[in-house]
Amino acid sequence: MLYQAIVISLVVFLTVGGQELLGFTQLGRPIVIGPLVGLLLGDVQTGLLLGASLETIFMGVVNIGGAMAAEPGLASALAVTFAINMGGGLGVALPIAIPLGIIGVEVKTLIYVLVVGPFAGVFDRLAANGQQKKYTGLHFGLWTLQWFLYSLIPFFAILVGSKATQNATNMIPDTIINGLSVAGNLLPAVGMAMLMKILWENNISVYYFLGFLIVAYFKVPLIAVAVMAIVIGVVSAQNDFRMHKIEKKAEERAAVVTTGSSTSGEAESNDEQENDDFFS
Amino acid sequence: MADKKELTAREKKLLRQMYWRSFTLYSAVTPAKQGASGFEYTMMPFINEFYDDEEEKKQAMVRHNSYFNSNLALVPFIMGVTASMEKENSETEDFNTDSINAIKTSLMGPLAGIGDSVFWGVLKAIAAGVAIGLAKSGNILAPIVFLLIFNVPVQLIRWYSGKMGYTLGSTYISQLYENGLINILTKAASTIGLMMVGAMTSQMVKLDIKWNMVVAGKKVLETQNVLDQIFKGLLPLLITLGCFYLIKKKNVSLNTLIFGIIIISVLASLAGIV
Repeated sequence: MLYQAIVISLVVFLTVGGQELLGFTQLGRPIVIGPLVGLLLGDVQTGLLLGASLETIFMGVVNIGGAMAAEPGLASALAVTFAINMGGGLGVALPIAIPLGIIGVEVKTLIYVLVVGPFAGVFDRLAANGQQKKYTGLHFGLWTLQWFLYSLIPFFAILVGSKATQNATNMIPDTIINGLSVAGNLLPAVGMAMLMKILWENNISVYYFLGFLIVAYFKVPLIAVAVMAIVIGVVSAQNDFRMHKIEKKAEERAAVVTTGSSTSGEAESNDEQENDDFFS
Repeated sequence: MADKKELTAREKKLLRQMYWRSFTLYSAVTPAKQGASGFEYTMMPFINEFYDDEEEKKQAMVRHNSYFNSNLALVPFIMGVTASMEKENSETEDFNTDSINAIKTSLMGPLAGIGDSVFWGVLKAIAAGVAIGLAKSGNILAPIVFLLIFNVPVQLIRWYSGKMGYTLGSTYISQLYENGLINILTKAASTIGLMMVGAMTSQMVKLDIKWNMVVAGKKVLETQNVLDQIFKGLLPLLITLGCFYLIKKKNVSLNTLIFGIIIISVLASLAGIV
């Protein structure tokens, strides 16, 4: 148990913490942590499968502007560990992962506000005095401190929690486990909805349904859909660019025309605008 | 764009340092100033290079110890622009130093918006989608493929946009906006992303109804079959659109949705529907 506790907290430290030091490299995603934990505990296949499932569930949990709804890294590391220990699948991992994701983000916020926050003033003072070495030291020191503290969660969770989780999970009746597996297959919907919130615009929304249709009826692999989507994206960008050029030309021509002679439809509003400018 | 300068060996070295140091932008995020310490750490080599006077160095240090928050992939561009302005400041007499932070602040918002939709919405979604497929078929390379699909483009953009920001300076971004190119690119990226999300909805969101209508021991209605005949994946699609509606229009929080789905699924399982 001690070995597991040390190894898994190291994984959390190096991936979840590491991705803050190596900004935006996605080291702390479930699809990376799952197989890694699996490898270290001697069951890569379970790690892979659970990593993939948890990645779909946490798909939409992305770090935008520093605000996160859950911390998928800690959740995946512990859920995969417990699932491997108990020989269970997603039905076991899910009820562990979801609450842990939320606990993780709360602890992270606590550390951020109470541990790192108060040092803002120290940073100010060091900058004003031009003490670059100390400033750099604090920059990295705070990183080490906060992720060390964060890694204590998986350490104690595994030391203390393994037996308790096992007992608790064994008591859950089968219909509820089945319900949780169903939920596991539905939860990606939330992730998709989060991504749609970033991307959705009414005039391009048809492409969402096109993507859905292609996979639902033709079973095209995602990589092929990606290539199709890129082709469509390039074609539409070329079109937009051409339209943009035409509009610009129309604007330029309109600027030369002195009287209110009517021109083709699409440039008309620009025309009027330009003419008004001209006469003012 | 015409006055593209040749970089000296010294400047090339500074840009390499910028690339590496900018990784640590959010190493010590504070609530008050977000990535200020990372930005400062990245600017240090430039400050030391451009200014000789200790007082000027301190002023520059204070300048960059200010609130900073943007999208990590595009941050080197902002840093490049900032560094070029610091250089200008060190060379000209009456340079308005307020303009440096003004440019920084005006760039970080819009670039965060573009970066979040391109990198989180499109690139991360594609990388995860492909890797999940591999992982489900037991391919051990899945995490490596995931990291490569995401990081190769991101690191190239980080490196080249940083260089571009430095050589072209602050006028460049306003030109991009004037050309309207930003909007066209954003729209194309969103189109790609949205189609991928549609494909992933179909592949990942799954629901099978087990409940069938039985009359006198005979199945008269196989619910799932009928639903499939109407439109394949109809329920998952409607559920996803429902989640989207709740998030976008009703501001329902992510955790509420997650727990809602879990509770409804368990209840449905107890009732024997799924």
